[in-house]
Amino acid sequence: MTLFTKPDCRLCDQLKRRFDLKGMEVDIEVLDTGDAGALAHLAWHGLVETARKTLPILVLDDSATVDDFADIESLLISRAEQRGLKYNDSVAPAVSCETGVCAIN
Amino acid sequence: MKKLDNIKGFIESSFIDWPGRSCAVLFLGGCNFRCPFCHNHPLVQNPGELVSYPLEEILARLRPLRKWLGGVAVSGGEPTLDPNLPELLKILRGEGFPTKIDTNGSRPRVLARLLADGLLEMVAMDVKNVLVTDKYERCAGVGVDLDEIRKSIELIRKSGIAHEFRMTVLPHYHSRDDIIAWAACLGNDSPRKLQNYDPRSPMYPNLAGAKGFSPDDFAELEQLAYTHRT
Amino acid sequence: MGVVMPLQKAMEKSFKQVTRDDSTDLALFVRTSEEDIVGWKRQRIVDALLRETFIDRDTAERISIDVEKTVQTSNLKTVTGPLIRELVNARLLELGLEEARRMHTRLGVPLYDVDHLLVQHNKENANVPHGPEATNLTLAEGIKKEYALLHVFTTDVADAHLSGDLHLHDLGFIDRPYCSGQSLEYVKKFGLNLPNSLALAKPAKHADVLLAHMVKFAAALQSHFAGAIGWDAVNLFFAPYLEEMSDREVKQLAQMLIYEFSQQAVARGGQAIFSDINVYWEVPKHFVDVPAIGPGGEYTGKTYGEYEKDAQRFAWALFEVYKEGDGAGRPFFFPKPLVHITEKFFKTEGHMDFLHHICEVASLKGNTYFVFDRGDTAKISECCRLSFKLDASDLEDAKEPWRMRYSALQNVTINLPRLAYKAKGDDTKLFTLLTERIKLAAKGHEQKKKFIEKLMGLGKGGPLAMLAMDLDGNSYLRLERCSYLMGMVGLNELVKVHTGEELHDSEESLKFGLKVIAHMNIVCNKMAEQLGMKFVLEQTPAESTAYRFAKLDMAHHPEETARVIQGDMESGEIYYTNSTLFNVGAKMNPIARVEKEGLLHPLIEAGSITHVWLGEANPDKKALADFVIKTFRHTNNDQIAFSPEFTCCLDCGKTGRGITETCRYCGSAKIDGITRITGYFTKISSWNKGKLGELHDRYRNEERFVRK
Repeated sequence: MTLFTKPDCRLCDQLKRRFDLKGMEVDIEVLDTGDAGALAHLAWHGLVETARKTLPILVLDDSATVDDFADIESLLISRAEQRGLKYNDSVAPAVSCETGVCAIN
Repeated sequence: MKKLDNIKGFIESSFIDWPGRSCAVLFLGGCNFRCPFCHNHPLVQNPGELVSYPLEEILARLRPLRKWLGGVAVSGGEPTLDPNLPELLKILRGEGFPTKIDTNGSRPRVLARLLADGLLEMVAMDVKNVLVTDKYERCAGVGVDLDEIRKSIELIRKSGIAHEFRMTVLPHYHSRDDIIAWAACLGNDSPRKLQNYDPRSPMYPNLAGAKGFSPDDFAELEQLAYTHRT
Repeated sequence: MGVVMPLQKAMEKSFKQVTRDDSTDLALFVRTSEEDIVGWKRQRIVDALLRETFIDRDTAERISIDVEKTVQTSNLKTVTGPLIRELVNARLLELGLEEARRMHTRLGVPLYDVDHLLVQHNKENANVPHGPEATNLTLAEGIKKEYALLHVFTTDVADAHLSGDLHLHDLGFIDRPYCSGQSLEYVKKFGLNLPNSLALAKPAKHADVLLAHMVKFAAALQSHFAGAIGWDAVNLFFAPYLEEMSDREVKQLAQMLIYEFSQQAVARGGQAIFSDINVYWEVPKHFVDVPAIGPGGEYTGKTYGEYEKDAQRFAWALFEVYKEGDGAGRPFFFPKPLVHITEKFFKTEGHMDFLHHICEVASLKGNTYFVFDRGDTAKISECCRLSFKLDASDLEDAKEPWRMRYSALQNVTINLPRLAYKAKGDDTKLFTLLTERIKLAAKGHEQKKKFIEKLMGLGKGGPLAMLAMDLDGNSYLRLERCSYLMGMVGLNELVKVHTGEELHDSEESLKFGLKVIAHMNIVCNKMAEQLGMKFVLEQTPAESTAYRFAKLDMAHHPEETARVIQGDMESGEIYYTNSTLFNVGAKMNPIARVEKEGLLHPLIEAGSITHVWLGEANPDKKALADFVIKTFRHTNNDQIAFSPEFTCCLDCGKTGRGITETCRYCGSAKIDGITRITGYFTKISSWNKGKLGELHDRYRNEERFVRK
């Protein structure tokens, strides 16, 4: 599983605060930092256009992709539960990304 | 799974082998005809010299293309000679691919069986010439029982599935009258298609240097073939 | 010319006068390039040096005396201006005055070269025919190219070009921007009102007059740009003129349009205008509510949304003409029709019939380009692959479509394989070198920008008066909105050198290729931020660059190059694979090609393409349509074109399918092939060696059997 994020993205931050992504074996690729590897990985999955509209994006182990934020959250919740890992329930519910920064340039 | 080791050629995607669809094409080795102008003759004469594609490899290469392909055409050679053909078609259909065969129509019983078992979405038959023994045998390169050919034509016409009758034409083998008569024996409703002889690699060396019809003449013959009905 | 001007300017024209006034006792005549013979005057050397360089008078005097001595001892009766200049240059060089020598240098062409040029065909650009006008063009380009390398670009940039580290495109057109995309609305609204034209035409009242205006405007633009001239939504913008016309008349108009552009041989040395027309079946979303301009440049009172049917009639007719081909049944080379496939396309009535129609043209003649605008992106495409995405400010322009005009100022292409030779397998070194090259390319862009700014600054009295015209309140060329293209050649060979495999060989090699292009994309964005210029990646058409880089690398890095070069070394038909394309000979089915090449496309923002070479096969139009739809739905591919091949007979004049050794009609061996070279169709006899090598290698989806 890979989560594509970027540094100043509020939605991405929310996921990072809520879940122990490392413990859940979710790889994180951070875009917009000049990391060609992350961008190339995004392109490999054919997600550059998607990421120009919305982030975060979750790529499942079978290469299926999810870009709806609520879906990403519920998938991560079930993954956490499967592995018996705790996740933070007290984080304020989905902040929408009105500023438009939750996408790559 | 039976031993399906006779797949001697494989194209993953073709735009010319299934009218209206892009499809994969499998070529089975071996043929009971020896059409002098055959351009797939390595399959006909010496299939043993060609590498076989294992079916598993083919399926592995086809699966990722499922959403792209309108089906798989099984060609040859003459596919109805291969006892494993029904099994092959079943496997392909099991993988979600509609199937089509290209046949010379010499084995109507096999064809009837395939149709009855619902193993085909489409069939294309090469009707080599007007149904006159010497003319037909000259094009087939062997003795041909024309009754079998007639049976196949009837089967296909009445099959209710998409089909096409084809003929490869070349000067001195096919006259205007032959083409008119050919068209007439196929009934009124069936699509037909002429192919001009491709001089690049004929089976018979004595055809080397022979040319197809000029494009103008060919266009005229096509008109005849497509407009003449019973 | 103008090379000895400084010497001549001060000279009196009358030979008698000159001899009488001559202050030296040197009985020597000077042939100047103003078709004039004048007497020797040492002072003219001093004048020229003081005018053209920064050296001091004493040095100038000294040099002139030295040169005079040389000339004196040569016992010549006549010398030429250029010879004197070179003698002065040689002296400057001896004195270590390199900067002064550069400033004082002369530009020109050796006699031998001119002799060759006038007689033999220039194959750098297959779109240029051979003829007196064309050789004028080549000669002028040659001098402007030298000028650019000496005077517009700094030495590091010029040297990088000359050594083949990178390629500055169209140096012979240094005083023009690269390409231009625009809307017919400009001509509809303002008529033909050009700074240097003798007559002013008011806005057209009839469709055929509008067409005449369009063609002339295109020709005028062509002489102000180096490359492609593209037109947005041509069928839609013609629509308000077509309401009263019958289908037959619309077809006639379509025929006129295509013939006018394909036979347009008045501008630039008989070269056809490299023209693109963008065609939409639907009314693009951003034009639906825009008030339409009609006859006389007046608003018709309707919006473009209401002209869908007439726009469609015209689109249909254009492709009927393409389907027929020219008088000999050959495909039209220009204008290239780019059909935009969008979500709205599939929601528009009649789209399947139209798709089958344009796919039939693709199968029979190959003209159709399928441009995929997925999601909400609106694009106009031009040049070989170049397309401009319309961003927010452009969509604001769309409300007054005459404002829509876009230009890329220059294209610089980076020689990728060479970076890999130098990096010797070291990733860090490779990416560092790549960054350095992009920075150098950006520097070249800055220098070209500065030069064009200077010319534009001369305004309506300057050489770019036409681009400075401001009928709508802005100059025609909106410099601040120009793009700067960063191209690449030989990604495939870079990857092969660095990883041992070509792009199509494995997932790993493709992933590495993606990383290289991702790096280029990122560095371009950073440079754009830093310099305030819009740098965008583009797939270089590289008609001659792929050959030029290959040749230079064979000279500079023979061992490494020989291992990865494509083509045939024996015949010299060598090349690097274009841009980010996969090996053209790789036995890949078209699906894998559009999918995998398409993965790179979203990183290349100025546009990309995948070619499907068809050879002889006449594919089924519905099968092609199905393939086009699936390419739109299932891939990231930006644009595709199908390329059939033809043989036209020089004896009977007919055109047959496939590249054959003899004419299929009359059997003559006097034939010429036609197929797509890079972004356009042309005759194979005009191709350079590199492209010929590529043509032999192209995989045409035909091989079936493998012998044991």
